Amino acid sequence: MRKTSKKIGLALFAVVIFVLSVFPVYWMVNTSFTPNGLTRRPTPSFFPTEFTWENFATVLFDEEQTPFIPALQNSLAITGVTVTFALAFAFLSAVALARFRFLGRKTFLIIILGVQMIPGEAMIISIYRLIDDANLLNSILGLSIVYIATVLPFTIWMLRGFVAGVPIELEEAAMVDGCTKQQAFRRVTLPLLAPGLVATGVFGFIQAWNEFLLALVINARPEMMTLPVWLRTYQQVTNETDWAAIMAGSVLMTIPVLIFFIIVQGRMTSGLVAGAVKG
Amino acid sequence: MRKGSLAVIAASALVLSGCAAAESTPEASSTATSGGDTTEVITGDIRVWVNGGDTPQEARDYLKATFEEMHPGSTLTIEQQDWGGLVEKLTTTMSGNDSPDVVEIGNTWAPGFTAALAFTDLTPYYGELGGDDLLKGFVEVGSYDGSFYAAPYYSGARLVFYSKEDYAAVGVSVPTTLEEYVSNAEALSAATGNSGVYFPGKDWYNALPYIWETGGDVAVASGGTWDAQLSSPASLEGLALVKRAMDTSLAAKDGDEAESWVAYCTGKHSMLSAPSWAGGLLVPREDAPCERSAEDLGVFALPGIDGGAAQVFAGGSNIAIPKNSANQELALSALKIMLSPEYQTIMGNAGLVPALTSLGSTLGDGEVPQAVAAVAANAKLTPASPNWADVEAAGILQDLFVKIATGDDIATAAAAADEAIEELLNR
Amino acid sequence: MVMPSELEIMKRLKSLPPWLMLSPAIVVLAAIVGWPLINLVIMSTQKYGRAQVFGAPPEFVGLDNFAFILQDDKFWGVFNRSIAFAAVNVIATMVLGTIVALAMFQMQKAWRLLVQAGLLVAWAMPQLTAVIVWGWMFNTEYGVINFALSEFLGLDYLGHSWFSEPLSFFAVATIIITWQSVPFVAFTLYAGLTQIPNEVREAAMIDGANSVQRFRNLIVPYLRPVFAIVITLQIIWDLRVFTQIYALQGLGGLREETNTLGVYIYQVSLGSGNYGMGGAISLVMVVLMSTFAFYYVRRTLREVE
Repeated sequence: MRKTSKKIGLALFAVVIFVLSVFPVYWMVNTSFTPNGLTRRPTPSFFPTEFTWENFATVLFDEEQTPFIPALQNSLAITGVTVTFALAFAFLSAVALARFRFLGRKTFLIIILGVQMIPGEAMIISIYRLIDDANLLNSILGLSIVYIATVLPFTIWMLRGFVAGVPIELEEAAMVDGCTKQQAFRRVTLPLLAPGLVATGVFGFIQAWNEFLLALVINARPEMMTLPVWLRTYQQVTNETDWAAIMAGSVLMTIPVLIFFIIVQGRMTSGLVAGAVKG
Repeated sequence: MRKGSLAVIAASALVLSGCAAAESTPEASSTATSGGDTTEVITGDIRVWVNGGDTPQEARDYLKATFEEMHPGSTLTIEQQDWGGLVEKLTTTMSGNDSPDVVEIGNTWAPGFTAALAFTDLTPYYGELGGDDLLKGFVEVGSYDGSFYAAPYYSGARLVFYSKEDYAAVGVSVPTTLEEYVSNAEALSAATGNSGVYFPGKDWYNALPYIWETGGDVAVASGGTWDAQLSSPASLEGLALVKRAMDTSLAAKDGDEAESWVAYCTGKHSMLSAPSWAGGLLVPREDAPCERSAEDLGVFALPGIDGGAAQVFAGGSNIAIPKNSANQELALSALKIMLSPEYQTIMGNAGLVPALTSLGSTLGDGEVPQAVAAVAANAKLTPASPNWADVEAAGILQDLFVKIATGDDIATAAAAADEAIEELLNR
Repeated sequence: MVMPSELEIMKRLKSLPPWLMLSPAIVVLAAIVGWPLINLVIMSTQKYGRAQVFGAPPEFVGLDNFAFILQDDKFWGVFNRSIAFAAVNVIATMVLGTIVALAMFQMQKAWRLLVQAGLLVAWAMPQLTAVIVWGWMFNTEYGVINFALSEFLGLDYLGHSWFSEPLSFFAVATIIITWQSVPFVAFTLYAGLTQIPNEVREAAMIDGANSVQRFRNLIVPYLRPVFAIVITLQIIWDLRVFTQIYALQGLGGLREETNTLGVYIYQVSLGSGNYGMGGAISLVMVVLMSTFAFYYVRRTLREVE
């Protein structure tokens, strides 16, 4: 008896959590399909009774406002470059930190942890001048380099934990079987690290995709904006009167992330499992 | 700085440079010399920043067409900026190689930037740009240490727009004193249940005239330091009037005055104080329905405390050329176009007080221009301190009036604002 | 017999590859973080304003900026507010996240997948988008929250502004941030729970008189390391919060009463152009956060040995 009531209780709880998590997203989608005139009524409708695509058309094709597609391309390019190189550099660093004993290892770790605590807001003007001097303002490369630096500490930290979590005995066993150290690493450790790499990649992706302040300052030119800056500009320009279009823009901005998440989610949860206890 | 950029370049050497978009190189003028003598044709692509929707489309088109005709091979792009977060944006972009070529600066920010020497010295061109025909107050605010940096662009005057029907229904007439204005608002809101006047909490532009009329001020300079005056007895009197007016308003207590015409068109507010050019937005238009008809719209200048026109906030902007712009000559040419009689006439026709005082007639005849003429003469500016931009960036006045709107004790709020203002202005 | 010099060479060679492997990361970090950080420290000892950005030489003022901050009421107001805000958020997130993780752990697969899907969606939402959407839901005139509260609960919330009072402003901010942070906590804790050896798990799951206690005694030790990471991360992230508060302030509220450290530093540095002061505040903030993270940092370093 108690078991059934527990099951029911858990099921109800699951539904509640699901609804609470998803409701804002639902509301965003709901509003995006409603004609804007109808959104500014005291009685909101919970279902788009007058379904329309016009908001998406406005966001995608309206010539007057800053266009969405270039911002999407910029975000994709910058995030792609960032995640690729951050993972590569972080992986190298993680292996070095987890598998070797050397002078300064501890110092490096402290620095990695310490850097994450620095509030970046006051450094903006210095970073701006730096990127400006290197002639990399308003480019894919410039912002990517900044993002790689922003993302590296956390990704190194995470990956180090994953690499440390793969017992070195496995490699040694492979070497006993005749592999060289590199071969052992490639054939035994790497596959076990795959979920960890995915999980770290996802974190990097989220951070680069979402980042707002640096993008606002460094890629200020309209044609080089990233999506968060685009959305904020769009919100300001319509002066919060066209909420339906703003919601449509929000939907468009969320779709790529959702797709990415769906693709990797299987690997990611197992990655979290592997890395969770190691830290 | 060089050491730092070396490191960045080293880092980027590891990365495929093909990732850089073509637009990454900053725009610079290229020069084509002819035969090695002094005739150089300078071309470039310049960017002009205008703020918000104030500059009418006709003016923008005129500017672009005229400039590109005068400078074949060059282009002029107008980039509209949003007022929010603009001070920060201007500071960063004007400081380096990515600087725009002509910027519009809110007149209250001009001292902050001219004192920082962010702009090119325009003193040699003062005569060419209009000389003594330029709006005096704006020239002052755009000058620093004897040099002229930021020219006037246009001035705005705020007028009171009202619904004639509501007035007739409640039986009040156009007020001749400030006190009458406020009591009209109270009567209107009591009778109709609408707002007497639409007065959002953050609307400091429309709140300042009350203080000025009762003899107070925001801050005055006395012997090298700024003394904030908001908690002086005279100012407090004005603030009390503000409170009365805000109490008649249904507007959001923490809302700002942006797009106030949208609110007016809902029909729920009987009066609205707005920039003069907003008149065209308070009537039904093709793409924007309005609950108020064109015949219903009346306008008058905010009355002073003893009759006549009140001292209202002189909205408006200056324009300047950032020192770091890579296209100084072309920028100057664009600036001259923007201050030309033709361009300024377009501005005047759109209801913006032109920078050239001789063109005041372009505002037209009729109720609105006459009201504008009445207030433009009495318009006042915020304290001409280099640090005033900081006060605005910190939102001190907005915070003060939101507090008043939400019912906080006026004297305490004013004292707090004074302290904050003095701290920033005297830094 | 290995000569001492050979040993030394071996040792040095062994040190070489690691540093080579670390070099790309070091280069990037030194350039983008190291150099600006040095600048920041220098600026914090100077009177560095907008004029300096445009070329005027700065004036060295030693520790004046720090002295000013430590006796500035406004700073302490922001400081206390940030700590309180972070505390509330961390507690809310951890409590909710733990409950959800535990529930997920005991659920049947179908329901668990439902919850995971929901949490993933919340987690995937870009931060700015989340603020905008929630801001729209809490909109003063047309928001669905006001409508629902009035319609379904009979409370008079029509036209209620959630952003003008700092307390309700932060309530909304907490809802948004907690909503987005719980998925991470829940997933990580759940992952930690699944790592527990089967026998221990089964022993803890037996219903009976002391089930709660047994649960606590058996499960909690396994979760402790995971807890440590997650809490430390949450503390650091919640103290550094910027985007959400910045975007919410654009929707309403008094900045003086809703500033947290991140936004305050931004305003002081870029808004007011007082970069020297902004730098000093940042350094104070780093010291503050170090004390919080100290315990975990030490643990990690010990584990690394």
